[in-house]
Amino acid sequence: MSHRLSEGLRYTLLVIIAVILLTPIYWLVMSSLRPADHIFRFSGNFSIETLIPFAFTLDNYSQALQSNVGRALFNSLFVSLTTVICGVFVNSLAGFAFAVFDFRFKKLLFVLILLSFMMPFESIVIPLYTLMRTIGWTDTYAALIMPEVAGGLIIFLFYQFFRGIPREIYEAARMDGANWWQIYYKMTMPLSGPTIATASLMIFIHQWDAFFWPLVATSSERLAVIQVAIARNMTMEQANWGAFFASASLAVLVAMVPFFWLQRHYVKIVITNADR
Amino acid sequence: MFRHPWAPYAFIAPAFIGLFVFRFIPIGLSGFGSFFSENLRGDMVFVGLKNYAELMDDPSFWNTMRVTLIFNLIINPFQICCALALAMLVRRPSKFIDVFRLGFIMPMTVSIALTSIIWSILLDPTLGPVNGLLRWGGFQSQPFFRSEHQALETLILVATWKGAGYWMIFLLSGLLAIPKEIDDSALIDGATGIRKFISITLPLMKRPLAFVLVADTAANFLLFAPVYIITNGGPNGATQLLMFEAYQAAFAYINHGRSMAISTIILVVVLLIAMFELRLFIPAEEEQS
Repeated sequence: MSHRLSEGLRYTLLVIIAVILLTPIYWLVMSSLRPADHIFRFSGNFSIETLIPFAFTLDNYSQALQSNVGRALFNSLFVSLTTVICGVFVNSLAGFAFAVFDFRFKKLLFVLILLSFMMPFESIVIPLYTLMRTIGWTDTYAALIMPEVAGGLIIFLFYQFFRGIPREIYEAARMDGANWWQIYYKMTMPLSGPTIATASLMIFIHQWDAFFWPLVATSSERLAVIQVAIARNMTMEQANWGAFFASASLAVLVAMVPFFWLQRHYVKIVITNADR
Repeated sequence: MFRHPWAPYAFIAPAFIGLFVFRFIPIGLSGFGSFFSENLRGDMVFVGLKNYAELMDDPSFWNTMRVTLIFNLIINPFQICCALALAMLVRRPSKFIDVFRLGFIMPMTVSIALTSIIWSILLDPTLGPVNGLLRWGGFQSQPFFRSEHQALETLILVATWKGAGYWMIFLLSGLLAIPKEIDDSALIDGATGIRKFISITLPLMKRPLAFVLVADTAANFLLFAPVYIITNGGPNGATQLLMFEAYQAAFAYINHGRSMAISTIILVVVLLIAMFELRLFIPAEEEQS
């Protein structure tokens, strides 16, 4: 097969896959811009108007933001960003310890970390709910944030990166009289931009995506995160599709922001993570 | 490696307290609670293995187990093949490749709950655009989630739509880590196309593939939102997955003992499968590195 032909084939495939993966998102956003009574008018019978709305409106958005969706977006952002900040701090500390020190029980503790990310969170949702009820944390922000702060996968990510920093740097800093906290805080972390970016993105998207745990842990409207609010609005007011499409589009578009923002770092970490 | 009397413990303490309280205690609680049952007055009483015995005698539990295993036997290899194909396609730097790399992970921004709602509309028998397109192309419309015979397959496709790009990232980083020299020497030896892929690329991808397989299995075993939102386990039990059964036991039938017994079974099964998968990819003697 000649080179040009195979490149042509490759790009054809790339485009077909991109269309399959992106069309549902495109359709979602386009539907949110249609007048409510147009949303399903063109969906069952395929025509050009199925793909491109001829009538535009922002009514759905103003309607969605007047309901609980604004509050829910705030809740999701607050929970996700708080988890990112705490999670980057807590997990990078642990990753640092495993990468730099030798200590008793290190192997055992490391295996526990690996185990903790092999056991997906959902399987312990029900016992965790029992625990939260006992300590009186159900229906609080803490119930949404705290369980997701420490994460084995993120510790592992930091450990991998920190391991690559040459130990001579640490020795020199120790000679200069720096303590380990200063070394972590003033030397290692500033070197770790891309890793911090990747970890932040992973924690953010994980929290933004969360559905089962928030559904179980918080029952009051006040604390509903965006995914739960959308699902509840769906079942309570079947008819209001306009508001659904607008709030769903908002949830997706907000989640895209960090992807575009951190894109550079992300591709870079994918490459630097290479040495495993 | 450095030594210090207490610094390493101070550094790991916050993370371990978190993992201990929010992971290991609940795991313990789940194992412990599965031996209890609520009596008519609402007290928890020790019942030994009764919850497990009841599950073993319950044909609907065995249906759930069967559906979950079939689901996982199909979705895990399928999703990983898709992810690997995507990673191979965007591996070589070329024009616009960054756009495709970013585009392929965009479904990650659609949460699993939204994915469920959107696809259930897209695949609706009468109003859904997918069936609209099928009819326009002269095909028959399909029931998808409404049919006992298509629901599980449809669930697999929808989950793959969301998941393939995510797992692609890990495989892509593995592919990019393969030193260029190995590629070049393969070309000199005349290995191209599929032969090169099988004899050179795949063996070098053992570790990332093992990681993705284990993590993917764990995620799919616990799939919950689409079943909860779209199918409710139906039609006729066709999509009754384990996690949904545990949820029903706890919140629909308020039978915490049964629910914890199911959670415990899920944990044990996932761990056994993970261990098996790791052994499959990485023989014991290699594990030290």
